Amino acid sequence: MSPFTVIGGFLGAGKTTLLNRLLRGAPGRRFAVLVNDFGALDIDGRLVAEHTGDTIALANGCLCCTIGDSLVTTLLSLLDGVRRFDHIVVEASGVADPGRIADLAVLEPRLSRDGVIVVVDAGEVRQRAADRRVGDTITRQLAAADLLVLNKLDVVSDLALLRCWLSTHSPAPVLEARHADVPIGLLFGLERHGASSADIPAEDFASWSYEWPDPVERDGVLALLRDAEGVLRAKGILRFADSPDKRAVVHLVGRRLDITDDGSWPDCTASRLVLLGLKPGLRPTLVAPARFCAGPG
Amino acid sequence: MSTTVYSARRILTMNPDRPSVSHVAVRDGRILGAGTLEELRGWGKVELDERFAHKVILPGFVEGHSHAYEGGVWKFPYVGYFDRVSPDGTRSKGLKSIEEVVAALSAVEKGLPKGAPLLAWGFDPIYFGGRRMNLADTDRISTDRPVVVIHSNFHVANANTAVLAKAGITRSTNVHGIVKDEHGEPTGELQEMTAKYMAYRAAGVELAAVLSDEQAVWRFARVAQLAGVTTATDLHNELPDSTVEGYLRASASDDFPLRLLPAFAAASVPPEQGIARLQGLMKRNNDRLRFQLVKIVTDGSIQGLSARMRWPGYYDGTPNGVWNIGPDEIDRLLLAWHRAGFQVHIHTNGDEASEVAIEAVERALAVAPRWDHRHTLQHAQMADAGQFRRMKALGMCANLFANHLFYWGDIHYAKTLGPERAERMDACGTALATGVPFAIHCDAPVTPIGPLFTAWCAVNRLTASGRTLGEAEKISVAEALRAITLGAAYTLKLDEELGSIDVGKRADFAVLDDDPLSVAPDKLKDVGVWGTVLGGRIFEARKA
Repeated sequence: MSPFTVIGGFLGAGKTTLLNRLLRGAPGRRFAVLVNDFGALDIDGRLVAEHTGDTIALANGCLCCTIGDSLVTTLLSLLDGVRRFDHIVVEASGVADPGRIADLAVLEPRLSRDGVIVVVDAGEVRQRAADRRVGDTITRQLAAADLLVLNKLDVVSDLALLRCWLSTHSPAPVLEARHADVPIGLLFGLERHGASSADIPAEDFASWSYEWPDPVERDGVLALLRDAEGVLRAKGILRFADSPDKRAVVHLVGRRLDITDDGSWPDCTASRLVLLGLKPGLRPTLVAPARFCAGPG
Repeated sequence: MSTTVYSARRILTMNPDRPSVSHVAVRDGRILGAGTLEELRGWGKVELDERFAHKVILPGFVEGHSHAYEGGVWKFPYVGYFDRVSPDGTRSKGLKSIEEVVAALSAVEKGLPKGAPLLAWGFDPIYFGGRRMNLADTDRISTDRPVVVIHSNFHVANANTAVLAKAGITRSTNVHGIVKDEHGEPTGELQEMTAKYMAYRAAGVELAAVLSDEQAVWRFARVAQLAGVTTATDLHNELPDSTVEGYLRASASDDFPLRLLPAFAAASVPPEQGIARLQGLMKRNNDRLRFQLVKIVTDGSIQGLSARMRWPGYYDGTPNGVWNIGPDEIDRLLLAWHRAGFQVHIHTNGDEASEVAIEAVERALAVAPRWDHRHTLQHAQMADAGQFRRMKALGMCANLFANHLFYWGDIHYAKTLGPERAERMDACGTALATGVPFAIHCDAPVTPIGPLFTAWCAVNRLTASGRTLGEAEKISVAEALRAITLGAAYTLKLDEELGSIDVGKRADFAVLDDDPLSVAPDKLKDVGVWGTVLGGRIFEARKA
């Protein structure tokens, strides 16, 4: 049985960069990599053992195949062929649900499902997720992940907020990276986190976010977290009126609440809090933020 | 240089100068003239052929959206609800219950070699009052041989226990697309990628080749010819060498009864490679095979719940569908092929997909202005009047899926679209009113190829249960006949060469037993097809 990994993520997130690292960075491990397009792969011509129309065989035992029109037939041809591989990796298209592709390994006795890695463009993901045409595609991908590679860290200004946002869309562990530079060993043998598409659809989750430009009263926030119904988890970065120079990071998982000191504030000073729960149970108390704003003077 | 003049009961030309004549003259495979015998004798010595004296001649029908897979699937037994004509002219009887399907396939099964898989196609349970096929049914066909019954939409299939066991599918298998009963046991019904995977597992990868090899394209041409079609598309094909060679061999024969236009699958390779490949293939074009079309598939299907829809989405609350190719990629692919001078056919079922495609064309035109590109929305089933106005302004065409009204109209009304949007779907009336050049199509093998039936759908807009879906979107018989001839030819940029009976055009005719303009509009689908003429060569339709 060959372990089977799917690498998903939206166009431009860095899937190909990650694949390039994979092909170079795991000596002795024979990968078969199914990609949409050879063009972006950075393959050293001296290492190419054989190049036919749809496949490139490398001297190190790895093989790249283009998927063309049908992943199903490409994958079956590979499995029916004579060559054996230590690991099969599929690059999902930018709009595919990688979880559904990983399902193929459950159906195929010659494969074992290793996991779904979703590469996330740290600079663009939130904007993309808010897009009315591709937002649901992005959130389905995030929900399917067993591991998130949060890529292009160099372009984000407020990482803590992004981490917080991401945690409301996926329970998967996050590897943070620049140029998809992650330890290859961490990409395999993943624990299952991604929602099976047969589980609760993402639409059954609701999130509720607050943003306050001015410092907020600590008791008001605690009351909000206590009184809101149906909250599964909450995360936030807050500027409390009692210590306005400190950034406080709030985590709520079930009934456990942690508030930790995260050092001093950069230029951006707004407080943000995100609640995540199941519809229709999630009923945050509709408190006017002004009620616990310290306010001027 | 011989000239043959055919007389007919009536010849409907689609030429507004003389829309109805009695004689047509053919020389060297082309139309020399259409008029009275006396007028045509002016060309010199003619041979009068009166075999069609009691027939009605129209321009050969043009099917702008079909797939050569129609010929491929006939290698396997058809088990649909409606009668369907097979390539040899025999009528496969519609099977009116799951019992009938099981009985028919049990009979087929006995003739197969030991261990060979049994595939069937065309099954549609929506007509069986909610009863679905299950393992008890498929296991009655065979317990040891793999059995896969593919549904008419080609996205769902029913398998037997032998197939499920091979993949280890049990109640605990947690995979999208495995339908389970109220006790949590798999019923054998499989959906989307799971269905496709299991069908290929059962049948072997060579299934893909079988579906579009030389024999398949011959069967496709024959089944098209039986319906009066002289030009048809194979509208989405990666065009691997094996398929191209089969097409070239088949079309090289004078007996091949069809002009075939394959559309290259734009997303299958990067545009720079694809453009070079298609330009190379165009050098191999012949009279019956024309490489020139490109296709981009954006979303899924409405009935498959995978169409990309604008607000408010599916009537029954199903989440929005999926992109096959996302908006950014649509822009990139369209621009590349547009710049290279190609006409691009864009599959859009949902109205969000249509919107994205229209905006992609608008952006491509802003970057690279082009006249007469005729980029065409294929299906455009949910396009509303505003979208048609934008298409008109941008010089786009539409090819509307009129057959959907009959086959899935009831489901669209009750579940997927709801009343208003079901009534305005496949909006031929709006296309006419806004001046968008349009065709209507069958998407064979999804529905049978038969332009007279497709025209009947656009004229009557009746669902399978008899509901009229959108009075205001009906078009006249004359308008529908134009849509299946000159209208479709225009969407393929072939209108200067075929699509009407006019001097200099190819002598491609549909020969009918009756006059479609004289029969009652609701009988249009029942007008018999005697056969076709392709480039002056006569092809009588074989009758069962």
